[in-house]
Amino acid sequence: MLPFLGKRAVASAISLVGLVILVFFLSRLTGDPTDLFLPENATQEARDNFRRLHGLDQPLIYQFFHYVGDLVRLDFGDSVRRAEPAIDAVMRGFVWTLWLAAITMSLVTVAAVVVGSLAAFHVGGFFDRVATFFSLIGASAPDFWIAIVAIVLFSVNLGWLPTSGTGTAWHWVMPVAVLFIRPFGLIVQVVRGSMINALNSAYVKTARAKGVKDRKIIFTHSLRNALLPVITVIGDQTTAILNGAVVVETIFGFPGVGKLMIDSILQRDFNVILAAIMVTAFAIFLLNVLIDILYAVLDPRIRY
Amino acid sequence: MTPKLTKLGAALLATTIASTAYAEEVTIALSEELDIVDPCESSRSNLGRVILQNISETVTELVPGSGLQPRLATSWEDKGNGTWRFGLREGVTFSDGSALDAADVAHSITRIQSDAISCEIGAKFFGGIELTTEVVDDHTIDITANPAQPILPLLMSTVTVVRDGEPLDAYVDTPIGTGPFVWDEYARGQHIKVSANENYWGDTPAVTSATYVFRSDSAVRAAMVAAGEADIAPNIALQDATDSSMDSSYPNSETVYLRLDHATAPLDDVRVRQALNYAVDREAFVGTILADGTLLATGMTPPSTIGYNKDLAPYPYDPDKARELLAAAKADGVPVDTKIVMIGRIGNFGNVLETMEALLSMFQDVGFNMELQMFEVAEWLEHYSNPFAEGRPPEIVEAQHDNANGDPVFSMFFKYACEGLQTGICDEKLDSMIAEATGLTGADREAKWSETFKYIHEDLVGDVMLFHMVGFSRVSPRLDFTPTIRTNSELQLGQIKFN
Repeated sequence: MLPFLGKRAVASAISLVGLVILVFFLSRLTGDPTDLFLPENATQEARDNFRRLHGLDQPLIYQFFHYVGDLVRLDFGDSVRRAEPAIDAVMRGFVWTLWLAAITMSLVTVAAVVVGSLAAFHVGGFFDRVATFFSLIGASAPDFWIAIVAIVLFSVNLGWLPTSGTGTAWHWVMPVAVLFIRPFGLIVQVVRGSMINALNSAYVKTARAKGVKDRKIIFTHSLRNALLPVITVIGDQTTAILNGAVVVETIFGFPGVGKLMIDSILQRDFNVILAAIMVTAFAIFLLNVLIDILYAVLDPRIRY
Repeated sequence: MTPKLTKLGAALLATTIASTAYAEEVTIALSEELDIVDPCESSRSNLGRVILQNISETVTELVPGSGLQPRLATSWEDKGNGTWRFGLREGVTFSDGSALDAADVAHSITRIQSDAISCEIGAKFFGGIELTTEVVDDHTIDITANPAQPILPLLMSTVTVVRDGEPLDAYVDTPIGTGPFVWDEYARGQHIKVSANENYWGDTPAVTSATYVFRSDSAVRAAMVAAGEADIAPNIALQDATDSSMDSSYPNSETVYLRLDHATAPLDDVRVRQALNYAVDREAFVGTILADGTLLATGMTPPSTIGYNKDLAPYPYDPDKARELLAAAKADGVPVDTKIVMIGRIGNFGNVLETMEALLSMFQDVGFNMELQMFEVAEWLEHYSNPFAEGRPPEIVEAQHDNANGDPVFSMFFKYACEGLQTGICDEKLDSMIAEATGLTGADREAKWSETFKYIHEDLVGDVMLFHMVGFSRVSPRLDFTPTIRTNSELQLGQIKFN
C-alpha cells in the first residue's frame, strides 16, 4: 500500500504543479485587478501606485517566480480585496464546505443505499416505482429553484426554519436538504442498477435456494459487490460539493469556499483563486486515495 | 411581600427588561460581505452602510435637505489661498477612550492619501489634489488644498477620522472611531456586531446594538425581513419589493446614461446625437422594466444636487424627427450607416440587459446600424475610461453614475472635461464652464452649474441621458425608518426609531 500511496502522491504533486502554472497564467489573462479595486475616477497616479504596491507592475514571469518562491515557503500571498493572507480566507471557507459535504454525503450515502437496495429487490413493484420516480426528479431538479421555494415555504410561510445563515443546527437543515436531493437521486439509480445485477447473480440464487433471509441477501451478500460503482459516484458527487456548492452557499449565506472562489474570480483576487484551487485539489487528492483504499477493502481481488 | 412574590416580580421585571433590550436590537441584511473594513474605505457602499457615522464620523456631514452640517468640525472658515480653518468639537473621544484632537484629523488626511495603502476615499474624492495640514491648537486645524478647493468643507464630509496612531501602511481590521457605535466583532463570512458607544458625545441612539449579515440573493434578504430575521434589507431588487407595507422606493443617487464618443463619426455630428435622443421612448421603461418612480434625466447628477437645472426637459420620443435628422446628416455626407457599437455593463442595475435590448430596438427602428455588446465590469471599463483604444469604432457606452454628495463637482470634471477620465467630449467652452463653476461658491456656483447642464443638454447634446434611478429597501414594521438618497452609501443607526 505504501508504494501505491507514494506513487499517487508524486502523480498528484505533478498535477498540482501543472495546475498552479495553468491557473496562474490563465487568471492573469482576465486582466488587471486595479480597475476593479479603485474607483472609476481614480487618477493614473493612484492606479500606478496600486500596481506597484501589489507587484502588478512587474513582468509576468517575474511575478510567477516570485509567487513560486513564496509558495515553497507555504506563503500563498495576501488577498488584495481582503487585506489578509489568502490561505486564511480559503481555509475559513473550506472548513464550512467540508462540513457541508461531509454531512450531506453521509446522509445521501445511507439513504440512497437503503432506498436503492430495496427498490432493486422488487423490481417493478410499488416501492421501486415510487423510488425511481422521486430519484429521477431529484437528479434533475434545479437546486436554485428548490432553495428559494424552500425558504418561502418553510421560513416565511410556516416559520419552521431560519431562512439562511449559520449559528444553530436548524440553520443546516435547508442547505443540507437542498444539496441532498440531486446526489440522492443519482446514487439511488446507481445503487438500484448495480443491485439488480448483483441480485441476479448465481451466488444470490444459491443463497435464496438455501433459504437465506432477504435482509441478509440484500445487505450482506449483494450490497458489498454492488458498492464498487456506487463508491465511484459518491466520490464524484463529494468532489462536486468540495469544488463549491456555489448556489447553496449563495442563497443560504453559507460562507463556503465555492462562493469565495467565484467572488475572487470576479474580483481578480489572484492569490485567493490560487490558494482555493490548491486547497481543493489537495482535498480531492486525499478523497481519491480514500476511495482507492475503500475499493481494496470491499474487493479482496484489488491489491495495490 | 413573600419570597415567592418577590421572585415572581423579579422574573417579570427581568422579562420586561429582556424584551425591551431585544426591541432595541436590529439586524441588517447586506448584499455583500465586507472585505476591507478600514474607515478610509468607507466610500464603498456596503462598508459605508456599516461604518459611516456609526463607527467613524466625518469632519463635516452632508444632510439631505439641509445641506452641509457640522459633525466633528463645528465651524469652518475660508482663510484664502486654498486654506480653510476648521474648528473641532470639544469633548469627543474615540471608543478606546482617547480624546479627539486636531492631530487625529491631520493624520486621517495624511492616511487617505498614503502611497502605502490604497484608500478609496483618497482615490475617489482627492485625486490630483494635494492636501496639507497645520495643527493650530488641539481643536483647530488649517487644511490647505492645492489646487484650491472652494468646496473643501463639502469634500471633508467624505473624510472619516481615525486615531493619530493608525498605521499609514496597513488597513485596520478593528475600526475605532468617535461614532455612536462601537465595533464589537467581525465573524468573517457570518456577521458583524456593533453596540452603542456609552461615551458618545451626541444624542443617545434608540438602537442599542446591531448585527449585520450578508446575503447576496435579493429574494433571501427580502424573505429575512418578512420572516422577522432581519429588520432592514437596504438594497433589494424590484421584483422582490412586493409588499407595500414593508417596501419603499427612494432616489438612490444613480443616473443611467449613454456616453457618446464625440471623436468618431457619425457620433461627432450633433444631428446624429439629437436623433439618438429623439429615438428613445424613455417613459415606456418606467413602471415596466424599470421601477415606478424612476425619473427621466436631463443631467448627470440627481435632482437633489445643487445647480440641477429644473427647466430642462427630457428629449421627447419622436422617431419621425430622429429619422429626419439622420436623413439630413446623411445628405451632408455624414456616414450615418456606419455600424455603431453600443456597450453595456452586465449586472450594472436590475434589468440592464432588457433595458439595453429595448434601446437597441428603438435605435434600429429609426435607422441606426447598431449592435449591442454586454461586458463584465473590467472589460467594460476599458471602453468607458481613458485612454480609449486607437482606431475604435463609434461607441456608445452605457453607464450608471452615483453622486450622493450634493455637488456636481464630484461628477462633471471626470465625465465632461477634456482631461476627464470618462469623458466622451472635448469642448473648450465646456472645460472653462466646469473650471469656473468649480471655483465659485453659493448662488453663483449654483447658477453656473445650472448653465453648464443646459449647455451640455441642449447645445452639445453631450449624451443620451436616460434615468435617475430608484432603489428599494425593505424595512420591518417595528422600525420607524425611511430610506433616503443617502441609504445608497450609508445607513445611520442613530436615525432608526422603533414603532
